Amino acid sequence: MNRTKNLTVAVMLAVAAAACTQQDPTSVDNALLPEQPVTTELTFPWSDFASNVAVYGGYGVPPELGTGVVAKAFDGELDARTLVRFATYPLSAVVQDSLGTTLTDYDLTFHGGRVVAFFDTVASEVPGPVTLDLGVLHTNWDVRTASWSMAVDTVGGQEAWPEPGAGPAESFTTAVWDPSAGDSAVFVLDSAQALAWQAQDSVTDSTTVVQGARLSLLTPGARLKLTSVALRLDTRSSLNPDTALVLTVGRTDLTFVYTPAPAPPTDGMRVGGVPAWRTVFDVNVPTTLSSPPTLCAAVKCPVKLNSSQVTYAALVLHTKKEDPAFQPSDSVALDVRPVFDPTALPKAPLGSSLIATGLGRRLSASLFDTGDGTAVEVPITEWVQAVIADTTKTGPRTLALLSAFEPNDISYASFYGPDSPFAPSLRMVITAGPAVEHP
Amino acid sequence: MRFRRTLFVLALMAAKPTLGGAQSILSGAGLGIPVDAVDARSRALGGVGIGLQGEAILPGDPAASARLVMGTVMMTAEPSWVSYGRSDTNESGSFRGTRFPLVGVAYPAFGVGVITFSFESVLDQRYSAANGVTVNVADKLLAATDSFTSTGGVSQVRLGFARALNRSVSVGISVGRYGGSLVRRFTRTFNDSIASGSLGQFQDGGYWTYTGTEVTAGASADLGNVAHLAASGTWSGNLEAKASSDTKGSSASYALPFQLRLGATGVLAPGLALNVGLTRADWSRTDKGLSEGRSAGSTLTWGGGIELSRARLLGRSAPLRFGYRHADLPFSLTGSKPVETAWTGGLGLVLRQAQTLTHEALTQASVDLSFERGKRTDGPISESFKRMSLTLRLTGF
Repeated sequence: MNRTKNLTVAVMLAVAAAACTQQDPTSVDNALLPEQPVTTELTFPWSDFASNVAVYGGYGVPPELGTGVVAKAFDGELDARTLVRFATYPLSAVVQDSLGTTLTDYDLTFHGGRVVAFFDTVASEVPGPVTLDLGVLHTNWDVRTASWSMAVDTVGGQEAWPEPGAGPAESFTTAVWDPSAGDSAVFVLDSAQALAWQAQDSVTDSTTVVQGARLSLLTPGARLKLTSVALRLDTRSSLNPDTALVLTVGRTDLTFVYTPAPAPPTDGMRVGGVPAWRTVFDVNVPTTLSSPPTLCAAVKCPVKLNSSQVTYAALVLHTKKEDPAFQPSDSVALDVRPVFDPTALPKAPLGSSLIATGLGRRLSASLFDTGDGTAVEVPITEWVQAVIADTTKTGPRTLALLSAFEPNDISYASFYGPDSPFAPSLRMVITAGPAVEHP
Repeated sequence: MRFRRTLFVLALMAAKPTLGGAQSILSGAGLGIPVDAVDARSRALGGVGIGLQGEAILPGDPAASARLVMGTVMMTAEPSWVSYGRSDTNESGSFRGTRFPLVGVAYPAFGVGVITFSFESVLDQRYSAANGVTVNVADKLLAATDSFTSTGGVSQVRLGFARALNRSVSVGISVGRYGGSLVRRFTRTFNDSIASGSLGQFQDGGYWTYTGTEVTAGASADLGNVAHLAASGTWSGNLEAKASSDTKGSSASYALPFQLRLGATGVLAPGLALNVGLTRADWSRTDKGLSEGRSAGSTLTWGGGIELSRARLLGRSAPLRFGYRHADLPFSLTGSKPVETAWTGGLGLVLRQAQTLTHEALTQASVDLSFERGKRTDGPISESFKRMSLTLRLTGF
């Protein structure tokens, strides 16, 4: 009997519990909604929300890219050369002798080789097949400070190149790269040339010491992005002379030098390049509105904004076609970050990216060429909401425009500055309505 | 066994009435839809919670607990399934939910009467509404959804005292304190994006807490063994809705009506009783505190049913009940007079019974179950609902 009672109660409770999955009554009756808010768009000109624009350069150095650039009279002015140091030559290799036994051979003979240069076919500005030169450097250079005129430019010492442009270089050979045929150019080396960079570790005579290789472009009017360089050695084994080996020598240093160095913009904003440029400016987020009439009709003006009323906020920038030699050839990832301590500029620490993806706002390269003057928006909604919500801090906040990956490329992106007809503006979409009242 | 029962009692006492799930779209009208804090037995009899024979913890009938001889605890759960429609917009939908309208404890004290303590739901204000809109931003029409949720309602905690004056007359009084809260939140969600980014959500809303006082007094009388009569009245002070400091909306105050309840049970034949009851309240005075466009009217709720008390199930007493109820609802969404009607039925099941020292049967544990099938109408709005009430009662702790 007890079991029956328990079962009865359990069934009753189960029925009650079955309805515990809540589904609220939802109606589309407008009478059940409070008075509709107004959504309106506002555009604030530069003078109403920003000031103190400044462009800073010098962030990062070319070797941080891990890629090289070669150019000759690109757009009539840009010359660039890539410098590379190869790693130590292999001292041994695992080979099979004539009996098929696997052994380590410490007596290798290098009888030829190739330097293979790989290019970014998308980011390279190249009208057709081009000829490149491979030379050997005898001047010591510092990978982090080498420039077109200086081989070493450190606090401890400065050494200029004997010839501007990382020269002189002892020309070894040339190669032709046809971008329609592939992504690499091959410099063929004879047995003597193949050993050239082996000596850089052993020769102590400063006049003959080898300090890496220099890649330069002989065909004018092109700018190539070099993604990688490798030295491949044709090797003969002492254990089995019939076995042909190809051993790859990696690189230890890779950088590039170029001229001319771009000058800071007189009016405008700039991001990217290497060393990279950043544009910094102060922002006064509007917190009180007295227009437009549609908004004031819904709420009493002046209305003090709260963060939830800002449904969208974006910086509106206009792309600018500037120096063609440094014009982007691939898409640009534009980032915007708050500057924590503007007094420490240009070395002020930056906050996290305001771009939701963290990968920057991608802008097509054509916007900085044929698309000159195109408006692009950089959403900063959450930051504006946070500024409005933070009532503890008054005064302007400082933002920095920069490349999402810095440095990223020799090219940089330019935008029209505050003194131009295409001055930046702040676009906001505001939603506001009467207070939700008790019924 | 005693330990388990004590645990169960503690669990019941820890519970409080909640509006866990709204049960009508009319919850959006005025101050919401009134929740009858009655047990399943009253529901099954179509009654209004007054004038039933026997002892009970019924907030509307404070004298009903006067003859409880041992500590008693009870809890009622009400799951319901609702489908609704609008004849003017062809809108339809369904929802379901469970609420716990009444938790009560009674304890004989000092030999002079019975002290009662109860938690009750008073007004259900839980609902949501949504509507698709088009917003013009920068000469571009963007699709958006406006949605509104109202969560919460008015509840009450009540302390009462009941006393049997003689073998036939009992009186009771209780003092209640309104409580509960309401969260109202409006959200506009943009379904379209502009330019390089999506639009964020706009939210606005408020939070109010309720306070107020009410007093209920009542009396009941047995006319021999053939009839039982009861009446009670509830006076309420203003219901104050206090807005939180970060709520832009203002606080509000509402006058609540005096409620008069009358009920009676007559024995038609051995084991067959008829119960009838009515409640009258004039909510029009509440009208003044409501937002523009909301209105309230006077209400009359009446109902009745028969109880076959000699029915048995599983070898134990299991009274069968049938009834009908008609209730005017105080607040309307459409300006018409909303009404709720329902056919009711149910049964009770005694789980454990003992004998008192005077050899009278004492129910120590029981379950009452009721089923209702009814409808609500408010102009073009109609709802049909199925509602179950389940009351668990323990005595003798």
